[in-house]
Amino acid sequence: MKKYVLRRLLVAIPSLLIASVIVFSLPRLLPGDVVQLMLEEKAYGKDLEELRAKMGLNRPFYVQYWEWLGKVVQGDLGESLWTRRPVVEELLRRLPVSMELGLLALFFAIVIALPIGVLAAVRQDSVSDFVARSLAILGLSVPGFWIATLVILLPAIWWGWSPPIQFTEFSKDKWAHLSQFLLPAFILGIASAAAIMRLTRAMLLEVLRQDYVRTAWAKGLRESVVVAKHSLKNAIIPVVTVLGIQIAQILGGTVIFEQIFGLPGMGRFLFDAINQRDYPVIQGVNLIIVSVVVGMNLLVDATYAFLDPRIRY
Amino acid sequence: MDERLMMSDLSRRDLLKLGSAAAMVGASAQVLDLARPAPAAAQTPKRGGTFHLRSHVQPPHFDPHAILAFSTMIPLSFAYSRLVKVKAGASVVPGTQQVEPDLAESWTQPNETTYIFKLKKGVRWHNKPPVNGRELTADDVKFTYERYLATTNPNRGTLEALDKIEVMDKHTIKFTMKEPFAWFVDALASTSTWIVAKECVEKFGDLKKPESVIGTGPWMLERYEPGTRMSFVRNPSYFVPGLPYVDNVEITIDIDPASGFAAFLAGKYDFGPEYGMVVRRSDLDVAKQRKPKLQTKDYIVVFGGITWLKLDQEPFKDIRVRRAMGMAASWREVLETNAWSLGHGVPNTAVPAALKEWALPVDQLSADGRRLYEQDTAGAKRLLAEAGFPSGIKFPLETTPGYGPDYVDAVQIGLKNWKAAGIDAELKMKEYGAFISSTIFGKFDKVGSGLFGAWTDPDSYLYRYYMPGQPLNAAGVNDPKLADMVKLQRRTFDVAKRKDIIYDIQRYVAQQAYILFGPSVSAVAAWEPYVKNFGPNIGHDYGGRMMAAWLDK
Repeated sequence: MKKYVLRRLLVAIPSLLIASVIVFSLPRLLPGDVVQLMLEEKAYGKDLEELRAKMGLNRPFYVQYWEWLGKVVQGDLGESLWTRRPVVEELLRRLPVSMELGLLALFFAIVIALPIGVLAAVRQDSVSDFVARSLAILGLSVPGFWIATLVILLPAIWWGWSPPIQFTEFSKDKWAHLSQFLLPAFILGIASAAAIMRLTRAMLLEVLRQDYVRTAWAKGLRESVVVAKHSLKNAIIPVVTVLGIQIAQILGGTVIFEQIFGLPGMGRFLFDAINQRDYPVIQGVNLIIVSVVVGMNLLVDATYAFLDPRIRY
Repeated sequence: MDERLMMSDLSRRDLLKLGSAAAMVGASAQVLDLARPAPAAAQTPKRGGTFHLRSHVQPPHFDPHAILAFSTMIPLSFAYSRLVKVKAGASVVPGTQQVEPDLAESWTQPNETTYIFKLKKGVRWHNKPPVNGRELTADDVKFTYERYLATTNPNRGTLEALDKIEVMDKHTIKFTMKEPFAWFVDALASTSTWIVAKECVEKFGDLKKPESVIGTGPWMLERYEPGTRMSFVRNPSYFVPGLPYVDNVEITIDIDPASGFAAFLAGKYDFGPEYGMVVRRSDLDVAKQRKPKLQTKDYIVVFGGITWLKLDQEPFKDIRVRRAMGMAASWREVLETNAWSLGHGVPNTAVPAALKEWALPVDQLSADGRRLYEQDTAGAKRLLAEAGFPSGIKFPLETTPGYGPDYVDAVQIGLKNWKAAGIDAELKMKEYGAFISSTIFGKFDKVGSGLFGAWTDPDSYLYRYYMPGQPLNAAGVNDPKLADMVKLQRRTFDVAKRKDIIYDIQRYVAQQAYILFGPSVSAVAAWEPYVKNFGPNIGHDYGGRMMAAWLDK
């Protein structure tokens, strides 16, 4: 197991290196650079060159890349070209917000999806199965931002109530802090829950038809033991794989939800940075996202061994 | 009044959503009171309380000499002062920009190129290090404007006519212009000309960080949390005794419009949640149901659609083609389909109708000019045929989705109406950052379309869009007669005469159809009944307007 994790970590290094080249180069391929955006309507040729030189953006691409990479390995992601604030400082403030939102959304997704998926499989073709499947289709097809907008607007129109508008830090008020995440995390988790629920149901149905499960029934085991101990553990392996993918999707979804619910996370930070061509920020945020996704997938792979003793690395 | 307020990439897009009821088409400005506020001037101002406002964008940074963004200038308007400012209060008619002293006690103009300003005595900087509440002097003003004119300041065009700045004594400063520039005092009231302290620049390297926001203004920046909030507290040493009335200003950075409106309904903001304290007309009924005593005022926003035609290229060299494009469009339809306006608004000539003292109503244009504003599909077809295009014309049109869905809707309406007249525009959408760093500078094939409305003075629109060599002359206008007229108005100090010249320019450019303008929305500013002596206006001087207001809860 240790060997496997080590090997995966080593494999992750070239992945991250390739990602670093991509995140460094792609923003620079966008038309309109940061200097043009800063000077905007006064973007005369001489001024552009002067500002580019001042920011070190007139040097060859590879020189800029190596310099950036050299700093990255030392934990320095540079500073914003617009605000001059260190990117690491901003990320340390914003990453926890996005991670908290993402993890809570994942928590809601699992908590909603697994019981309903199991119930739907165990009670196949019953009313509860039909309702669960219908809800799943609804969850998949209704955009989360639309639900979020309604959830925000309707109580305001009906009762003059709206969610908190200013972000409260955990250290200042734990309950206020947590409460502002509940609604967005729940809605963000709905789409993932729907996907996970459908997969759980399908996988469990397949496992429930296996010979060893029939044997378990024949032995007179209780339903809860047959389902939870003998079936679910095997059915859940593909679900765990999908969870890994869902993490990336949820992280992507935080961009919109952070905006709607006023959470100062990485999503909005990245969005603004792209619009402003703030290269160090774009690079830093993307590198962190890539690292998180790689790390989470590594965790997912490691979970296989725990769930299925047959899997050996 | 020349408030050369421009926007950065992000800010321009967000801000100009207000003007997005205007894309392809080219009245009189009008201001209608929906619910007249109580005569606040007659009431006794009350001290204390907190103003709660929404900002839909966060400032990229706080250095007024390194950015165009309105999202920077708005917060700075609470903390800084300038030599002169725009009058504020409930009695001010939106669209007017009456200049009055701010840091200046008085000023004189000995000749056409010289201005001497006397500063108020005893004005103190905020009591924060490194300035620590010392007195403001003429050296600060000189330092500010010299820094303002640095090549890296995208706003420096506002004062580019300035040649020399001399400190005559501690409280007197002399400005010498390169040539007569009648808009100079108005330019000094721009919300980019905040007077800054040398010590701050020396200590912080620039003024981008929030801790460097140290001015002489009515409030002090107490706290800034990026993406979340800006909190201001009353400046106890403000140089106007008794002002400001309100102790705190809390600006919440709330990006989502639905969330902003919901929070407004829930009483978390004291003013309309959109830029300019506006509530979208489509939301107005709900807002009034929830808040029956809500105070509102209609005003014409300064933004509108603009379409540049490459004048050095066929078929746009032919005036008949240009006129046909104007005639085929319908500004009324654009306004009717827009959520901000729901049909309320006015067409624009070369000077936005919002600048009500300077804009020429459409009905006062020449007959040829007026025809651009009366949709006539058959007439447009006829003109095209006369120009040698009986089966119509086809060209690519560059624009951006970055101004938001309302803008894109307006563009689609324009395309539909053009199509009906045989004008087939192939839409080429550019990412916003690419658009504002290329298309607005004329880097497009045939036709470009976007939004105008960055300034609150007429000169900027005429000088920047029509003078040869100006970066924003995207259409490539090169008309010596027009250039002479534009220069002449800049040199004419008599306001009435200048106005006549500006009217003539508007008539002339409408006749030539060099650039096509869309309409501007009549927006509805809204504020709570307990907010007194507040009056909305164009421009980004939120701090100035808030200083005149108070809370009566």
